[in-house]
Amino acid sequence: MGFIEVWNLIIGNPVLNVLIALSHILGGIFGLAIIVLTVIVRLISWPLTKRQLNSTKALQDMQPKIQELQKKYGKNQRKLQQEMMKLYKEAGVNPLGCLWPMLVQFPIWIALYQAIMSALATTPESLLGLAQRLYSWDIVNQAIPLGSKFLWLDLGSSGDFILAIIVGGTMWVQQKMTQAPAVDPRQESTQRMMTLMMPLMFGFLTLIMPSGLALYWGVSTIIGIITQYFFTGGWGYLKFGSPFQSTPTKGK
Amino acid sequence: MKQAKILFLIIIALLPLVLVSCATWGTQAAGGWSGTAFHDGVIYAGTKDGRVVAINSSSQDLQWSRPIVTEPSGGMSCGQSSVYAPMYGTPIAVGDLVYIGTYSGNVYALTIAQGTDRWVYPRTGSIGAIVGSPVIADETIYISSSDGMVYALDIRYGDFKWKSEPLADKLWTSPTVMGDTLYVSTFDGHIYALSLEMGELLDWSFESEAGFASSPVIYEDTIFLGSFDRYLYAVKKGSNVPMWKFPQEKPAGNWFWASPVVNEGIVYAGCLDGKLYAIEAKTGEKIWEFDAGNPIVSSPVLMDNLLIVMNESGTVYVFDLSAELEDEAVPLKAISIDADVRSSFCAQEGLVYIRGEDNWIYVVDVDREGVSWKVSLTIEE
Repeated sequence: MGFIEVWNLIIGNPVLNVLIALSHILGGIFGLAIIVLTVIVRLISWPLTKRQLNSTKALQDMQPKIQELQKKYGKNQRKLQQEMMKLYKEAGVNPLGCLWPMLVQFPIWIALYQAIMSALATTPESLLGLAQRLYSWDIVNQAIPLGSKFLWLDLGSSGDFILAIIVGGTMWVQQKMTQAPAVDPRQESTQRMMTLMMPLMFGFLTLIMPSGLALYWGVSTIIGIITQYFFTGGWGYLKFGSPFQSTPTKGK
Repeated sequence: MKQAKILFLIIIALLPLVLVSCATWGTQAAGGWSGTAFHDGVIYAGTKDGRVVAINSSSQDLQWSRPIVTEPSGGMSCGQSSVYAPMYGTPIAVGDLVYIGTYSGNVYALTIAQGTDRWVYPRTGSIGAIVGSPVIADETIYISSSDGMVYALDIRYGDFKWKSEPLADKLWTSPTVMGDTLYVSTFDGHIYALSLEMGELLDWSFESEAGFASSPVIYEDTIFLGSFDRYLYAVKKGSNVPMWKFPQEKPAGNWFWASPVVNEGIVYAGCLDGKLYAIEAKTGEKIWEFDAGNPIVSSPVLMDNLLIVMNESGTVYVFDLSAELEDEAVPLKAISIDADVRSSFCAQEGLVYIRGEDNWIYVVDVDREGVSWKVSLTIEE
């Protein structure tokens, strides 16, 4: 059995069949099925998300100490960096920790991408191929073929600018909320680039990927923002400035 | 170091998505599976690389080849660079013209002699993708389209006669003409009856809980067609409830994708579960079944008293319908062409004309139980 067969058996086919069954339960509205699946995925990944949120909250709680350090060692970048790293270490937090839950979700994204494209069966070959991947559940077979229209979107097509703006915008907000202040100007520049690049990249991906997948990203990110808001009690790092903004870097 | 780590993470994060977006893993691009038609000693077929070809069956030579080129669909996604139009329907040759619909949403009438365009509909632009085969009746060609409508065109000049109101999100099945009525099945589980003259919906329509996968076949006053819910339906014209559903106890192993054929009161239906079923047309009771081992995608074909059935992996099974077949039927012959087959095929005078997924035409001689000859449809660069 090859990798693709194993993948389909363990991840691909279960996601596909659950998605189609959900669509049938929700009155044949495939977009709603994607949203419900997103909520399910977020619930399943809650332990990881909780760990990430704890880390973010701990970093937020450290802000006064970070600002103290900034005042104390503002002219000595090397010392400031060392002290901030020490502080992070003592608190047991990793500023890059927020990336791991995202990485863990990649197999789900890939499975979902495949499931959306397979379920929508935009070509006759895809529709015929779908026959070999469905379980014998009546609920699944009665739902086929699925309609691809949801709100203003064609879930099987790409290139929706409004959705790209929603995905990019919400991702930027979430990034700003979760990203810890950098420990040195160079890292800050990298983080600033990432805060901008990631939303831009996902906005671009929304333009080239089926809207169904982008709908998953958008809804997942909005759930992330809401969870973050209530768990950490506010907008997080959106309200904090950079510790290096007022510090000239020429002394480095 | 941290910068490199972050960049590495971003690349790792995005690489699978970009790879998956460009790969066929997860979805399959439209390639076409046009079937074969045989007319006056010439085989007509659409190729995998978007051409309509005419092959002389006596000399086995390519008589002509007409590329069907379409505008690239544009956009930023991968896999849209091909400018050749895929074809799924079977060409139909009538008089001095051969007709075919393309996935790019055009209907072509080509001359039988040279393959030159007599007309193209629409003359500019396109309608929705055409997947079903055209049907000709009374100097009119009828074709269903992915824009959900049925079109009626004049066969000589391609002039527009009428189009139906949108019947579904998309129509991928072929219409069927009986008398002065056109019947069409939809993916959302309807059978509609349209007036052949003007295309308006007639009073009667049938609605099922599940979508119909196959085109309707009419025998006497009953419509037979396969469904995605793994049943074959028999619907009496004018009735709102199915006359019967097959199998009667529990659904089959997969969809009834191919249209059935009916002969002398018996329905022969191939299923994607690999089985061929012979069913009593009046009662829906199973007479016999045969396990072909692989999905049956193409519709069975009748040739005299023989029933020709083919599975997806390219094995041709021949059944003698004049013989008494038991519960578990045994084919008279089984001939492999060693190529996958998804398209419809035709049979005449002991020969079966098949277009394989490998882009070859295979001519199977039933009497000799083997491939008589074959020809590649791929043009050498």
